[in-house]
Amino acid sequence: MIEIKDLTKIYKLSNKKKAELKTKDSEKVAVDGVSLEAHPGEIYGLLGPNGAGKTTTLRCVATLLKPTKGEISVCGFDTVKEGKQVRDKICFLTNEIKLDPHFSASYMFDFFGGLHGIDNETLSKRKEDFFKRFDIMDFKDKKIEDLSTGMKQKAAIAVSLVHDPEVIIFDEPTNGLDIITARVVTDFLRELRDSGKTIIVSTHIMSEAQKLCDRIGMIIDGRKVAEGTLSELLAEESAEDLEDAFFKVYKRVKGEDKIS
Amino acid sequence: MRGAKRIIKKELARVFKDKRLIFTMYIMPAILMFAIYGLMGKLMSSMNNDITEHTDIVTVVNATEAFKQVVTTTGYEKNASVTYVDQSEYASNKQQYENEILNGEKDLLVVFDEDFEAVFNAYANKGDKIPNINVSYNDTENYSSKAHNVFTNLVANTYREVLQTVRLGDLEQLDVFNVTENQIVKEGKKGTEFLSMLLPYMIVLMLFSSAMSITVDAIAGEKERGTLSSMLLAPISRTEIVVGKLVSLSILSTLSALVYCVSMIFAMPLMQKGMGGGDVNLSFIGVDTGLMLLATIVLMNLLFVSLLSVISIMAKDTKTASSLVAPMYIIVVLAGVMTMFSGGGDMPLWRYAIPVYGNALVVQQICSGEAQITSFLATVAGLAVAIAVFVGLTSKAFNSEKIMFNA
Repeated sequence: MIEIKDLTKIYKLSNKKKAELKTKDSEKVAVDGVSLEAHPGEIYGLLGPNGAGKTTTLRCVATLLKPTKGEISVCGFDTVKEGKQVRDKICFLTNEIKLDPHFSASYMFDFFGGLHGIDNETLSKRKEDFFKRFDIMDFKDKKIEDLSTGMKQKAAIAVSLVHDPEVIIFDEPTNGLDIITARVVTDFLRELRDSGKTIIVSTHIMSEAQKLCDRIGMIIDGRKVAEGTLSELLAEESAEDLEDAFFKVYKRVKGEDKIS
Repeated sequence: MRGAKRIIKKELARVFKDKRLIFTMYIMPAILMFAIYGLMGKLMSSMNNDITEHTDIVTVVNATEAFKQVVTTTGYEKNASVTYVDQSEYASNKQQYENEILNGEKDLLVVFDEDFEAVFNAYANKGDKIPNINVSYNDTENYSSKAHNVFTNLVANTYREVLQTVRLGDLEQLDVFNVTENQIVKEGKKGTEFLSMLLPYMIVLMLFSSAMSITVDAIAGEKERGTLSSMLLAPISRTEIVVGKLVSLSILSTLSALVYCVSMIFAMPLMQKGMGGGDVNLSFIGVDTGLMLLATIVLMNLLFVSLLSVISIMAKDTKTASSLVAPMYIIVVLAGVMTMFSGGGDMPLWRYAIPVYGNALVVQQICSGEAQITSFLATVAGLAVAIAVFVGLTSKAFNSEKIMFNA
């Protein structure tokens, strides 16, 4: 269970950043008063364009960033005050966070299992399960640097699940994956949902969100502008598909001229 | 600290389970050290031999008969080919003779005054003219420089004594008194000057370069590769990660620095033999001073690792980290060099507490057999403070969103 209440995250901009973003403001509001809930047994999708605040929101949930305002609780633990407990309940996957390339998937699985305090018996049983599930068995002892991108991603997913987390946070789950690996990942997310896990993913791929997510929150410029199940969103916007619905919302928020 | 222990284990496994890394970090440096010093020694000794065995090409103008006799009796011609030339020949080709010295074709040109013997014989009273021998040589040419030394010490001095005997009869009356010398040196301290001058500098340099190569990759590299973030998601505190990283890096780089130091100490005699020096002597280092040396090395290493960690974690990638570390390297080298010329003598205690410089001074004291517990304690105190500051800063940086996630 994830509860985000009025989350605001403001970044202070360095002079270099100001030049990069072509702004004179010394602050950037990345997330602006977002509230949402993700429940066990559901996949919640954060949908929005690049730079909308999806990654920042997920990083706040994963305790990597501290909210400027608002509160986040994960399985009843506060992400700021009880970071350790939160990290024990979650797994956070993103393309930017990677496994040490000098080690094998098997070593990394044991290493992170150890950090989570999992006993050896459970660890080896879980390793076998996950490695079989993701077809890692054949290359489990190969150094991660020698693996292909798809294999690396599979290994990273298996390792991140070492502690059987209740909450799975996935930033752009299929980004950079070939269609077969992407399918393995999305199928697995569904399986995890069916086993009662709370899953929150971010994506800018409409078709993925449409197929995968039980509920969707649209984020534009740091604000949550719409939320609901796919059918609710389509009905509300009188749209044919999610992409259609998203652009209707986007036009309303940004004004017609912005996307023409 | 369960997490810290696991991180230490992992970081050590990264090196010690990789045969290639073990070889490049710990075996190759030792082999290289022996190869470099051995080669330097060999080159130096063959160069020295070549110079000693070279036959000097000497031209002597207006030589007296007595001089020629001295050349024969001293056996000078065994290692020198002497050509005698008269004044008219010399006068017509003077420039050519000088050019030959300049170009290194000949080694020495000795010109006697034309009236050398007459002037010598005419001397009667104080203030009378004395004859002159002009010796031309080229100090930038090894052969010429050596020819000059041999000529002055062997031939010219002997010839002087011959003529002094002619004039005074008994030369012993010139010896007004004798000086006898008696060197009093602590047993085992002979041959420490070279080591005590060079070792502190080398230790500082090697510690820093070992720490540099390991730390920059393990912190800035991991940050760049995104593997550090995966650790931040584990249910352990950031302090545990910092402790785990720093301790493992210190172990790895101390080992690497020790390999360098030990192989250097054993390889250096290879070079010294070539230079004609004695053996490097370390027997004056006892158990107590050895422990002091080890403690200083370990703490200095921790200082470098923590300093480099701060820099590495602030940098966004290894390239930036390396460029930030470069000025540090120069400062450390400078501190090491300063100890080479700081000489002995009493120094205020606070100087030993200055990180790097003071530590190198203590290493110098230990290596010259003059270890003092007070200066050692001052250096340990200085190091402890500096390490605490850098560890604190690293911890703070690990907790900073801006630094860790560029947020």
